[in-house]
Amino acid sequence: MSYRVKLQNFEGPLDLLLFLIRKNEVDIYDIPISEITRQYLEYVEIIKILDLEMAGDFIIMAATLIRIKVQMLLPRPELDEDEEEIIDPRMELVTRILEYKRFKEVAHKLHDLEDDQLKVYPRVYLQFDEDDVNEEMTYSEDVNLFSLIQAFKQALDNIPKETYHEIKDIEINTEEQIDYIMNTLNARKQFSFYDLISRQRERIVMIVTFIALLELIKRGQVVVKQATPFGEIWITKR
Amino acid sequence: MDNKALIEIDYIKQIVEVLLFASDVPLPTNRMLSVLEDIKAEKLKHAIEELNEEYANTERTFRICKIGGGYQLVTKPEYSRYIKKLYKGRARSRLSPAALEVLSIIAFKQPISRPEVDQIRGVNSDGVIKTLLERNLITIAGRSEAVGRALLYGTTPEFLRYFGLNELTELPKPRELEELLGSAQEELKFPADEAEPELIEKLTQTEQDEVETTEDDEAE
Repeated sequence: MSYRVKLQNFEGPLDLLLFLIRKNEVDIYDIPISEITRQYLEYVEIIKILDLEMAGDFIIMAATLIRIKVQMLLPRPELDEDEEEIIDPRMELVTRILEYKRFKEVAHKLHDLEDDQLKVYPRVYLQFDEDDVNEEMTYSEDVNLFSLIQAFKQALDNIPKETYHEIKDIEINTEEQIDYIMNTLNARKQFSFYDLISRQRERIVMIVTFIALLELIKRGQVVVKQATPFGEIWITKR
Repeated sequence: MDNKALIEIDYIKQIVEVLLFASDVPLPTNRMLSVLEDIKAEKLKHAIEELNEEYANTERTFRICKIGGGYQLVTKPEYSRYIKKLYKGRARSRLSPAALEVLSIIAFKQPISRPEVDQIRGVNSDGVIKTLLERNLITIAGRSEAVGRALLYGTTPEFLRYFGLNELTELPKPRELEELLGSAQEELKFPADEAEPELIEKLTQTEQDEVETTEDDEAE
């Protein structure tokens, strides 16, 4: 059995530092930077072996730790020239660790909320997984004519489209299509634009029909109306 | 309560129930009010409370919940194992600890850029942010005015729904930095009974553990 090592347990260098501070039970305001840095680097060595990609972020923090360590080694006057207290070189890091800790706590609470919420199902339409259904393969007994036709249609729809191209001469002109629209309008008081166009088989016929419709609108013989933006367009006689 | 009022509240309750039953998204109060006509928001709220009481008294398996600014019928958690069986193979996947960290930072600091998130976490959050965008828990909320015009991220309504929150103010608050600084000492110490987790142990959890964490509810 192969073990895949998981580094995600440490979400980053700050998480590791937080862990080390807790593990060593040290004063957060007085981090023994030398000792923590030593332990930190030990872990970084492991991380470098395990996950090089992630190691980069850890090494940046290692550099920060070493810089702080050096600053700590340098002699510091109690007060600087302006008689202000010298800021501890560790303070910035401590603030960062605590800022990180704040959000880590929230993340834990979110995890609990997620836990609760995963047990609760809203009244929604959830589609069953296809694989799920196949797995059980129940044969329904009540196959009727309708479901057969449906299956047949599905099969027809799935036939790959023929790719060759035949050039046909389609005889069509605007006047013809104008007559066609007017005849349809005589039979039915109104019909939708979608209905009109989708009845046409050929692209060129669709285009000519569209031009015919525009012509009829121009002549003021038909009126087009729409109830909502992007809604159905209705064609009626004037 | 006189007779007329009694009839009215029953009427509202029925309408509310049927609307919630027919809806697959949380229904905002104003949408329900527009259907109910001439009913005050207070009465609607009262009707929903009464319905929930009734559901509780008659041990119904669901209740009305306020999520993401609207009301929705949801199942009670104690029945989750059965619903899970019904939808087996369709387990809802949990967010990783990294994803939860990034989400909590974005939720409180929104709109916030990725470099700012990285700075707080001390790690690159690129991959995590992509996942959160894909899951529609965060969205691009604009561009930073600072150099580089980095994209800014914010949470979505789906974020509220996912965590069962009604509004962002219901989020668990991060403690103030000052408060943390004050209590940092005790906070950071291990409780006596907590065994010291060894790093290697923490680093080398097996795949099996990972599987377990995603399906741990199964074990209930």
